[in-house]
This record gives sequence, structure tokens and C-alpha cells, in this order.
Amino acid sequence: MPVIELEGIQVEVDEDGFIQNPEVWTEALARAIAKTEDVEELTEDHWKVINYLRDYYQQYGIAPMIRKLCKDTGFKLNYIYELFPSGPAKGACKIAGLPKPTGCV
Amino acid sequence: MTDEKFTAERFKLTDEKAALALDVLRQRLNRQLEASLEVCVRCGVCAESCHYYVSDPKPEHVPAYRAEQVRKVYRRLFDPLGRRSPGWVGAAELDQEMVEKLIYAAFGTCTMCGRCVINCPMGVDTRHIVRTARAMLTAIDMTPEGLKATVDVHLEAGNNMGVTEEDFIDTLEWMEEELQDELENPNIKIPVNKKGARVLYTLNPREVKYFPYLIQTAAKIFNAAGEDWTLSTVGWDVTNYGLFSGDDNAARTIASNLERAMADTGAQVLVMAECGHGYRSQRWEAENWLGHRYPFPVTSFVELQAQYLKEGRLKLDPAVNDKRVTYHDPCNQARNGGIVDEPRYILRRAVMDFVEMEPHGVENYCCGGGGGMLAMSEFAPARLAAAKVKADQIAATGAEIVATSCHNCLDQLDEIRRHYKLPVKIKNLSELVAAAIVWE
Repeated sequence: MPVIELEGIQVEVDEDGFIQNPEVWTEALARAIAKTEDVEELTEDHWKVINYLRDYYQQYGIAPMIRKLCKDTGFKLNYIYELFPSGPAKGACKIAGLPKPTGCV
Repeated sequence: MTDEKFTAERFKLTDEKAALALDVLRQRLNRQLEASLEVCVRCGVCAESCHYYVSDPKPEHVPAYRAEQVRKVYRRLFDPLGRRSPGWVGAAELDQEMVEKLIYAAFGTCTMCGRCVINCPMGVDTRHIVRTARAMLTAIDMTPEGLKATVDVHLEAGNNMGVTEEDFIDTLEWMEEELQDELENPNIKIPVNKKGARVLYTLNPREVKYFPYLIQTAAKIFNAAGEDWTLSTVGWDVTNYGLFSGDDNAARTIASNLERAMADTGAQVLVMAECGHGYRSQRWEAENWLGHRYPFPVTSFVELQAQYLKEGRLKLDPAVNDKRVTYHDPCNQARNGGIVDEPRYILRRAVMDFVEMEPHGVENYCCGGGGGMLAMSEFAPARLAAAKVKADQIAATGAEIVATSCHNCLDQLDEIRRHYKLPVKIKNLSELVAAAIVWE
């Protein structure tokens, strides 16, 4: 199992880079994963999406539809793709510490 | 070979599991499978036909090596010499070591793309052998986690991402509003559960959950062509990962969802969204799983778009797409599905500068994401390494856009783009078509 090393702490990720234990997620870890997903710096808007994804996942145990994400953050669909160039599933969800979704992603 | 990825209890072989797996092999032995297991002459031609071997030449990446793992077990059961003195004919007991070899051969290093099949001088169907091995492993609950979860979610929720009916409708309404705004036409609809429409359309859950603008893309094309179409809440998921897990019971249940949706809407034609394995499953495999013929034709959205163009129902201005475009053939659509000319017919009318990658059509290499490989994180590094040949094919075209007509290929191609740092964009065929529509 590969590991990301961050400030001396080693975190297990799967071979697609999704962290294995959502409880170990920290904001510093999010910044480290973001760099692997073409997001150099996490802005306020990035955090708004990340926090929304985490809250939703903690409540429902599944990633939200992008419909819900856009409605509740007020962001346009295209803006989400701009914020996370590798996409909402592989980019945003991975940075937020959610598990890899099922299906063709 | 003990691998830390498969240490969970369910990957431990018990006597019951071994017996069950061998039963599956016995039950599935038909003339085609038996011939493929018997007639390999070890010529090695298949090596060069496999994207794993071409990208990373090592013995485990030769298709005949993969098939040999199944043959060893087969010989132990059915070869007279294999039963008496297994060592003489390379027969092997199905033990823990053998099961792990099968997991790697069948799930870990093969996308069942079928390129070795069409290049085998003996006509050996290694794709069929590999699916049989997957069926044996799935019967004893040894399917890799992501693939297993994708099938399970589909069986439970009716689609492979667990989208609820409420969320499905909400997303379609959202896309309808956006489409009406974009085209400044309040009459443009995305119909759901419309009775008696000619076409029942399907979607990949990936579109509904994460990339809904692609629903608009299809809606634009249908509207421009004046099609009478609908989606259905009874069944809308184009995918069928039962094809990949080897579980015919799951595949049958999943395929029957769309059959029920056809009955519910009373539509005349079932149109599969741009999805390689979904098309192959529903068009070429499902009638065998279901045990009866469909009372309706199944076609692909790619074929339908070509038809609209041929009939003059859809007019395109290729000047909109002025960048160089190449096309990646999804294996289950081209090689295993027979759709080769239609995407080219479309592209020659939709873009200014279309170039083929080499080889292309039925001989095109797999992107590396097929066979459910994208869902199995355990094998991600090998999947990306095996995509080197695809990256080289793309780079040699000088194209700025790679078009394809499969969501799974789309996602894998995007990973290839990032991994191999290719200066290209990956697009669905229909995105290029929708962008070029001349509205009348």
C-alpha cells in the first residue's frame, strides 16, 4: 500500500491516491493531495467545496451529486471543473478525503 | 506469491471455495471454451497484440501466459495425463497460490479487450478464458473490491453510483433549465417517463453524478434532429459490470432493468449512450444472459448520430471544431461491437482536421481502462504503465483533441494525458457533434 509522507506522518493511500482511513484527514493532508491533482493552492472557494463534501459524506456516507454541490455552494458547474481540473470525483473528493466512487471513474 | 492487497478473509481458499470454483469451470465448458483451452500452439503472436506486453514486455504480460493459468487447472480436471501425473503436462491443483495467480492473470493484467483474439492464428479466445476465470473467482467472492462494489451498488440501487430517483430527476430538471437558458428556447425538454416515445435513451451514472453537461449534449443532438425520445426512471444506467465480474446472474438482472424500462415507456428503440461495454452487453450479450430475444432493436448513440447525419436531420458546421482531432476506438464498441465506420463518418463531418491514430479501428489498442480495470485501484500502477502504447499512439498524431465514445475510456484517457503529460484534451464524440450543430 503506497504512503504519502507529510511532516513526518505517513498516511496510507490506495493505488489511485485515495486515503484509506477518512479519520486521518487533516487540512494539511488536503493541501498535500491537492498538489497531486493539479491544484497548486487551495483558495477559499476550494475549501468551501471541500468542507461541503466532507460534511455531506459524514452525514450520508456517500459523495453528493454535483447537483447538490452546485446548489448548496452557489457555484456554477463549470467553476467546479475549473477549481478541480481532474474532476469532481478524482479531484475534489480525493482532496476532501472521501473514498473512490464506484463506476467508470 | 502472497500479496498484501488480498489478505482479507474472503481471499483465503477453503475446500468449499475450491470445489465451487471448479464447478463453475465445469458448468461453463462449452465447445468454444474447450477449443480455446486446447488449441494454443504457443507461437507467441499474442504477445505483441497485447497493450500490457507492448508497453511493458515481461512474460506475465503475454496473453497465453494468462490463459495458461486457467489451462493448468483445466488439465488437472480433464486431461487424462493431468489427472494421473500433473507435473508432466503442467497441470496444477487449485490451491491458494494458484488462486492468487488467477486473480492477477484475470483481473490484474487483462482488460478483456480482445486484441489477442483477433490476432491469434488459431482463433484462441483468451478474452473468453479470462472471463471464465473471473466467473470462477467471483463465484467464491474473490472479486477485487472496487469491481465487486460497482456490481453490488448497481444491483441494490439500479445504477452503479447509487443515484436515487429523486436526485436523478432533480439533475435532469436542472440540466433542462440550463439548456433552455443557453439556447434561449423554453420549449427544449429533457423528457422523463414519456409514454410512446420512439427512442428510450440511457446514461452512464458518471454523467448524472459528476458530468451532467453531457446530458445536455445528448439533449441538444436529439432536439436538433427532431427525435421523439425519453429517459426512464425504471431503468437508465447504460453500464453492466456483470460483464466484467463474470457473474452472469448479476449481468442478467442488470440487463433486465432496461428491458423493463422499454416495456414501461413503450419505446421502439433502445439507444445505448456512448459506453463501450454497455453497448456490447446490451446489444450482443444480454439476450444470452436473459435466455430470450428482445422484442426491440438495440442501437448505439454513435450509430444514431451517424444516421441523423446521413438522413440530413442533423446539420453540422465543422469550422467550429478547427483543432486536429484523433479518435480512440473503445474495444467493446469497435473490436467487440462492430461499430467502426460510424464514428469516422461523424468526425469527417464534425471537425476540420481528423487524423487516425495507428493502428486504428478493430486493431486499435485498448486504452487500458477496460474490463472494469478503472474500478480496481489495486492494479492502478500496472494499468497506467500498460497505457504507454496508447500515449505513444496519441502523441504521434499531433492531435490536440482525442475523441472517444465511452465514458470509461474517457476517464482513462484523461489519466493517460496527466500521467504522460500529453498536450491534448479528451472529449466525447457527441461533445464535438453538439458544438457543431447548425440550428434551423
